Amino acid sequence: MRPLMLQGHERAITQIRYNREGDLLFTVAKDATPNVWYTINGERLGTYDGHRGTVWSVDVNWDSTKVLTGAADLSCKLWDCETGKVINTWDTKSSVRSSNFSYCGNMINFTTDRQMKHEPKICIYDIREPSDSEPALSFVIDTKEMSKPMCSLWGALNEYLITGHDDGTMAHWDLKVGGELLHSVREHTALIKDMQLSSDQMMLITASKDKTAKLFDAPSLNLMKTYKTDRPVNSAAISPIRDHVVLGGGQEAMDVTTSNLKEGKFDARFFHLVFEEEFGRVKGHFGPINSLAFHPNGNSYSSGGEDGFVRVHQFDESYFDFQFEC
Amino acid sequence: MVTSMDGEQDWEDVKPRKKRQDDIINGNEEEPDFSDPEDFEEDVSDSEFLADVLEKKPKEADGIDAVIVVDNVPVVGEERLGKLKTVITKIFSKFGKIHSDYYPEFEGKTKGYIFIEYEQDKSAKDAVKGADGYKLDKSHAFRVNLFSDFEKYKNVTENWTPPEKQPLKDVGNLYYFLEDEDCNNQFSVIYEGGVKTGIFLNTAAEPSLLEQRERWTETYTRWSPKGAYLATFHAKGIALWGGEKFRQIQRFTHPGVQLIDFSPCEKYLVTFSPMQDPSRGDDFQAITVWEIFTGLKKRSFHADMSGEDRQWPIFKWSYDGQYFARKAKGVLSVYETPSMGLVDKKSIAIDGISEFFWSPADNMLAFWIPENDQIPARVTILAIPSKKEVRVKNLFNVSDIRLNWHKQGKFLCVKVDRYNKAKKANISNFEIFHIMEKQVPVDIVELKEQVIAFAWEPTGNKFCCLHGEAPRISAMFFEIKGGKIEHLGTMEKKQATHIFWSPAGQFVLLVGLNSSSQLEFIDTADMTVMNSGEHHMVSDVEWDPTGRYLVSIVSWWEHKIDNAYWVWSFQGRLMRKYPMEQLCQLLWRPKPKSILSADHIKKIRKNHKSFSKIFEAKDRLLQSRVSKEIIDKRRSLMEEFTNYRKHCNEVYQHTTPYRRELRNGVMTDEVDYQAEDLDEVTVEILIEEEETILNDKE
Repeated sequence: MRPLMLQGHERAITQIRYNREGDLLFTVAKDATPNVWYTINGERLGTYDGHRGTVWSVDVNWDSTKVLTGAADLSCKLWDCETGKVINTWDTKSSVRSSNFSYCGNMINFTTDRQMKHEPKICIYDIREPSDSEPALSFVIDTKEMSKPMCSLWGALNEYLITGHDDGTMAHWDLKVGGELLHSVREHTALIKDMQLSSDQMMLITASKDKTAKLFDAPSLNLMKTYKTDRPVNSAAISPIRDHVVLGGGQEAMDVTTSNLKEGKFDARFFHLVFEEEFGRVKGHFGPINSLAFHPNGNSYSSGGEDGFVRVHQFDESYFDFQFEC
Repeated sequence: MVTSMDGEQDWEDVKPRKKRQDDIINGNEEEPDFSDPEDFEEDVSDSEFLADVLEKKPKEADGIDAVIVVDNVPVVGEERLGKLKTVITKIFSKFGKIHSDYYPEFEGKTKGYIFIEYEQDKSAKDAVKGADGYKLDKSHAFRVNLFSDFEKYKNVTENWTPPEKQPLKDVGNLYYFLEDEDCNNQFSVIYEGGVKTGIFLNTAAEPSLLEQRERWTETYTRWSPKGAYLATFHAKGIALWGGEKFRQIQRFTHPGVQLIDFSPCEKYLVTFSPMQDPSRGDDFQAITVWEIFTGLKKRSFHADMSGEDRQWPIFKWSYDGQYFARKAKGVLSVYETPSMGLVDKKSIAIDGISEFFWSPADNMLAFWIPENDQIPARVTILAIPSKKEVRVKNLFNVSDIRLNWHKQGKFLCVKVDRYNKAKKANISNFEIFHIMEKQVPVDIVELKEQVIAFAWEPTGNKFCCLHGEAPRISAMFFEIKGGKIEHLGTMEKKQATHIFWSPAGQFVLLVGLNSSSQLEFIDTADMTVMNSGEHHMVSDVEWDPTGRYLVSIVSWWEHKIDNAYWVWSFQGRLMRKYPMEQLCQLLWRPKPKSILSADHIKKIRKNHKSFSKIFEAKDRLLQSRVSKEIIDKRRSLMEEFTNYRKHCNEVYQHTTPYRRELRNGVMTDEVDYQAEDLDEVTVEILIEEEETILNDKE
């Protein structure tokens, strides 16, 4: 595998995302400047300047015209993808942890953190409406009953929202009825750091600090598979073309010096989706991996780490030839 | 002491007399007559009248409880009586203050038994406990009994009911684990921070869990030397478990027990607890020797916590469990089993004794005494019980000595550290004592640097030592062939801190524990490094009892992360890694020595090929069975999943029109570019400029 190393951030990477066609890779980090790159050669297109704090999340709409970022400077910004201009800013009372476009690209959601006595909020806006209009839907999560959400995803067809929480719960929110909690499950025992949908949006994989990643059926939130590792899992993704999942993680920053640092021992682990067995590892990062994403065509994947590097890997033939005995 | 009944009358007589005196004082001259009339019959019994006084009346039994009877006292005549009395008094005053004694005589000689009366009843009881069985000399061992016991035994009832028969506590075959068909070894693992303890069997593909219990032990576990028992620690004492189901075989109460030691024959257990329990008074002693089979406490000892007793085991057992010894300041005490008494009833006085070690094959021990003023340091080999000095050697200019017996007792290695001429660094020498040869000749191996580690090959005559200073540590290998020490080879620049020989011999592991984490596997037959590896932060290493596998462990007690154990083959090939949540301790279950004769072993070696064919066929069968299982499992998982995916696809197809609508009619399900959608743009970029001068011709 020949990795491309993208060095554009000065601090740890928090999230990376491909656009739908796969020619662009958006990366955000703790250094307040989101970057966008050409995936074909690793050349950087540009940056989106405007945030003043750690950018926690990024998303791009389906036709790659708009970019949404959520940051710790208490704002969520919508940008024009091509020019880098800010289209709209939503100010919040606490840092924005996750932000997403809906399937159609007309609605966005973001979730905020629990900070300084402000409870976490989930807000949904329609971006076709004027900039300062009220949210289409917003509701507060009472942390006494439910822990704060760490990540969120739109369900298929804009019908529901799935959130992953601090204590391992996952919740389904009905958007048609207006923010009603459909149901929640608690399969993880520690906080959920990342959730990603499969390419057909029917399956969902969650990555948790309890050292496992779990595969769920998205509409029902039924637990299907569990992938076990010995390190907290920070991110997981499902391959669009094969029955593979990739997990990435590592220790907390403070434990890093005590674990094996030789030659970048932080690896991305590949598991078989159905058999839950690990079949490969890719080393290279010098710090825990914070975000993983498969290229939409399944021929490559990218990982962003605590070391501030984003590595883009092309799979070689042996990856595609590899078959489990069955 | 014993007053007669007549005393009463005297008392009565006193009374009237007193009255008369009073009368005289009062001036009453007349004497009233208080005596009973002649025929008066008392109708009140004495016991009613004088109950309180009668109570105080000394009974025959009083004072007897403090009396003991000592039998088997030497029969002596007048002239030796005084000496006998002195000796006896000295022995028995240990238990309390003697009030009086009585040596009955017959025809001028003592009868052979005596009576001793103590001031206190308790002293008598202590005397019975402590002096009964006391060997005065070869032919006289005292029998001590309470005097009151004689009464007790006289009155034993005629109706004797036989004691109830206790059901036989059949512990089963303690060595059942040797009968494992595939000859796999067991090992105990403590994990999850000490909460769970499990016993695993080292089966071919994966270790299989035999038994797992939560909170089986409170601190750690130990196997007995031959593998029959598993000892677990608890606040109240030790429990021993064994047999196929790991049932509790025995329990020993010793509050606060911290360390234990088994005798090599597995007959006795020594426990140590530093706790001083004031409520139990002086009875509580830090070290106890127990008999495992009966569970009885055989003997207790005090431990000198601050002084000599700082290294466990304090009591060292001889190879067959017949003797155990301990050293104190200037004294070596050797006890024998099963009596638990000192050999020859006294300790051996060895002034300045520093360390001693039993030979693993004979009843002899080696000890050394450090240099003292003008007297040089000395190493002595002493035979027990004869106390004959088999060999003594004086050593000069010594700063430190370490003794190391060969595992079969054939040699003793004495590592001697001396200051070099400039009195700066230490240089070490090995003095090898050839025990098996007459006169025990000594060979010297000189080394230029300080020795860090030393180990004998368990079977065979080789030894290895690490010397030097990190990082320039070298490993030197020697073999003793035909009485001569041959230098096999030296390996330089090793980063090892410990040497671990395989129990089967020939192969050795050099490892840097808690430091470099490097493991190197060496074959001493041809002095090659077979393989080397690394296990980050390895804290312990354990060979299995057969020498086939090596397990390297990162223990949670040393490092809080990455706790796992890795299994290596004896050639150094890493076979499997097993991460375990908070793995604390892993110990192989030991095996007793093989009972095969040397001839038998030779025969097996010769026919090795035929045996290996059988085993290989067995292994292949096992493998295919295992893989078949895996494949079956996978197939069923795949089937399940495919069904699920079919369902998903149906839903997906069904919702296609909705998706199209959401994205304004653009069909985005497929990622592939439609050829028509692509715009081709040609961009020209100047890469290089080259100037060529054409010939300027007309």
